[in-house]
Amino acid sequence: MFEEASEVLENMLKWSFPLSLVLFLVLVCPLRAEAAHEFSVYRMQQYDLQGQTYGSRNAILNTEARTVDAEVLSRRCVMVRLADFSYEKYQKALRQSAGAVVIILPQNMSTMPQDIVQQFMELEPELLATETIVPVYFALEDEELLSIYTQTQISSSSQGSSSAAEVLLHTATANGFQMVTSGAQSKAVSDWAITSLEGRLTGAGGEDLPTIVLVAHYDSFGVAPWLSYGADSNGSGVAVLLELARLFSRLYSYKRTHAGYNLLFFLSGGGKFNYQGTKRWLEDNLDHTDSSLLQDNVAFVLCLDTLGNSDNLHLHVSKPPKEGSPQHALLKELETVAAHQHPDLKFSMVHKKINLADDTLAWEHERFGIRRLPAFTLSHLESHRSPARHSIMDMRSVSSLEGLSRNTKVIAEALARVIYNLTEKGVGGDLQIFTEQMQVQEDQLASLVDWLTAQPRAAQLLDKDSSIVNTLEYYLSRYLKDVKRHLVRADKRDPEFVFYDQLKQTMNAYRVKPAIFDLLLAVCIASYLGVLYLAVQFHVWF
Amino acid sequence: MTLFHFGNCFSLAYFPYFITYKCSGLSEYNAFWRCVQAGATYLFVQLCKMLFLATFFPTWEGGAGVYDFVGEFMKATVDLADLLGLHLVMSRNAGKGEYKIMVAAMGWATAELIMSRCIPLWVGARGIEFDWKYIQMSFDSNISLVHYIAMAAVVWMFTRYDLPKSFRLPVTILLGLCVYKGFLMELFVHVFLLGSWTALLVKAVLTGAISLCSLFLFVTLVHSN
Repeated sequence: MFEEASEVLENMLKWSFPLSLVLFLVLVCPLRAEAAHEFSVYRMQQYDLQGQTYGSRNAILNTEARTVDAEVLSRRCVMVRLADFSYEKYQKALRQSAGAVVIILPQNMSTMPQDIVQQFMELEPELLATETIVPVYFALEDEELLSIYTQTQISSSSQGSSSAAEVLLHTATANGFQMVTSGAQSKAVSDWAITSLEGRLTGAGGEDLPTIVLVAHYDSFGVAPWLSYGADSNGSGVAVLLELARLFSRLYSYKRTHAGYNLLFFLSGGGKFNYQGTKRWLEDNLDHTDSSLLQDNVAFVLCLDTLGNSDNLHLHVSKPPKEGSPQHALLKELETVAAHQHPDLKFSMVHKKINLADDTLAWEHERFGIRRLPAFTLSHLESHRSPARHSIMDMRSVSSLEGLSRNTKVIAEALARVIYNLTEKGVGGDLQIFTEQMQVQEDQLASLVDWLTAQPRAAQLLDKDSSIVNTLEYYLSRYLKDVKRHLVRADKRDPEFVFYDQLKQTMNAYRVKPAIFDLLLAVCIASYLGVLYLAVQFHVWF
Repeated sequence: MTLFHFGNCFSLAYFPYFITYKCSGLSEYNAFWRCVQAGATYLFVQLCKMLFLATFFPTWEGGAGVYDFVGEFMKATVDLADLLGLHLVMSRNAGKGEYKIMVAAMGWATAELIMSRCIPLWVGARGIEFDWKYIQMSFDSNISLVHYIAMAAVVWMFTRYDLPKSFRLPVTILLGLCVYKGFLMELFVHVFLLGSWTALLVKAVLTGAISLCSLFLFVTLVHSN
């Protein structure tokens, strides 16, 4: 008898097995399996400048992801795409005490429409000025990140939807994502050295020659240090300075063209942080040494800042140059060259007094102006507050640098006319000095800018051993003499600048299921086991 | 993700074994230590198989996407050692047919559960990341239990001296299917590109078919005696 009974049992068991499996599948509807995704994220700036704190104060993150249109944002990681980003949404996330904000940027920024790029550029200083204790990260979009974002968006936006059964089914099957960063909490970097480089070309004809100083800061700034490439500001300035160094060192190598001016070239670091490099260099040269080119006869200091595109060129001064001074001579020569050789270029002088009550100085020449050295800054921007100077959108692919070689030529010609005193000797404004073998090399400029923008140049990332500093030093030493490094370290007791670390992290996105899902699964498994037990129990066969 | 999930998977994997042990009456026969001995034999057989495979079979050096049918077939043939091991266990146990089969199968399957499933579950199911493969693994262990019971039954039938002539062929076929089941499964997955849930379903159906046939043959054999 028990054989037939066992056969019946076996039948029942065997047929109910695949049936319960199918039932289970129908109930739970599993999604396509996706592994955890790992991607690099770049943190927003965090620094103290002259005692004032800026940027996001926190680096650790271990929260669930939501998109910005979800209702409950508190203690969640809010993910926003650049195209949907706006200041109101950011503030809304902060108001609801979100755990973190991750802004997803497209891989190729040039695909973004110009108005979105412009809008973001204008938002960057506001983002930095808003006091945030939540970590703000930027990530570059790839396929998996996009799919994570889409899935999060679907589950976030349907949270307020219809019936209880739907909500239950949805929460049971939804794929949540847990975002976890692997690093530690951010802390201040101690003893960071900002490096500046100087080099010179000595003039012909003995002692006491007047000195012309050419300055450009080589670091860049943006809302995220690892994403600040600074193509125009100030990659263009550095490229112009290096090309001028090459041209004038060639002129100075021939006895007949060796002029009676000393040329001092200075690549300053920490420029975006209120020109720390220049400040300390001036202090060391004027206060702490006995003899330096800066102490004696300085004709003028020309700072180069953002000379990439556009048909404008502005000479920013803190007080209008007096007649007969070398400054005035340069101003006149620039006007002459612009008028005769490049009529489409609009050149003008902009006068702005130094305002010592401001948090930060406007242009680099103001540092020199404070120490009573005649200085001005040449830039195509009209105002120092222009967002193009502090943006991560300032990339090679987005900023065009068409006017760069023309501007280099204008500056070179004007400088040559001052050094060789050509106007007084009656040379007309159309004579071009830098032609043929002495011509400004456009591909050299282009490759310099390409190299400069190939890696981020934020001041927090360039220590004294970085490859950029070393390469700049090597380049300068090919054309100039006496190439020296100058280090700036923040004062121990009252630091002018403090940088923080943990600026680049690896973020992991783990697929998680909500807690209800575990309970549901437990109930299903319990019922399956119960069926199994009952089936076996009623047909004990030994 | 989390201990709760691990608990779910573990109970899904382990409870059917527990139920089978309790309800098949093995506990009345104090069969626990015999099951443990069967488990030890399983370990020994697996060790021998691994040594054999490592020594005599070269690593496959073809392209990555090509499935080495012949090589995998040869490797599956080594699984005949499983049958030998089961036969060894059953011959050392005195008792009725069903008792021998159940003891051998329970011990064998439990040893396989502990050796090959516990550690992945412990390490994987407790992590943050959720993956369906842990539930699938637990289901798979259920299927293996049924598979080993069927396999033990077929081996027992094969070694019976009073097996009718007409049964020889079906029993041999079933024996072959049992041994090459893993190979067949991989073949199906590779050729038809089955998803993981579908593969599990196919495996369940295959095991169900094998065990049904073996049960039918077993019942007929016992009944005719």
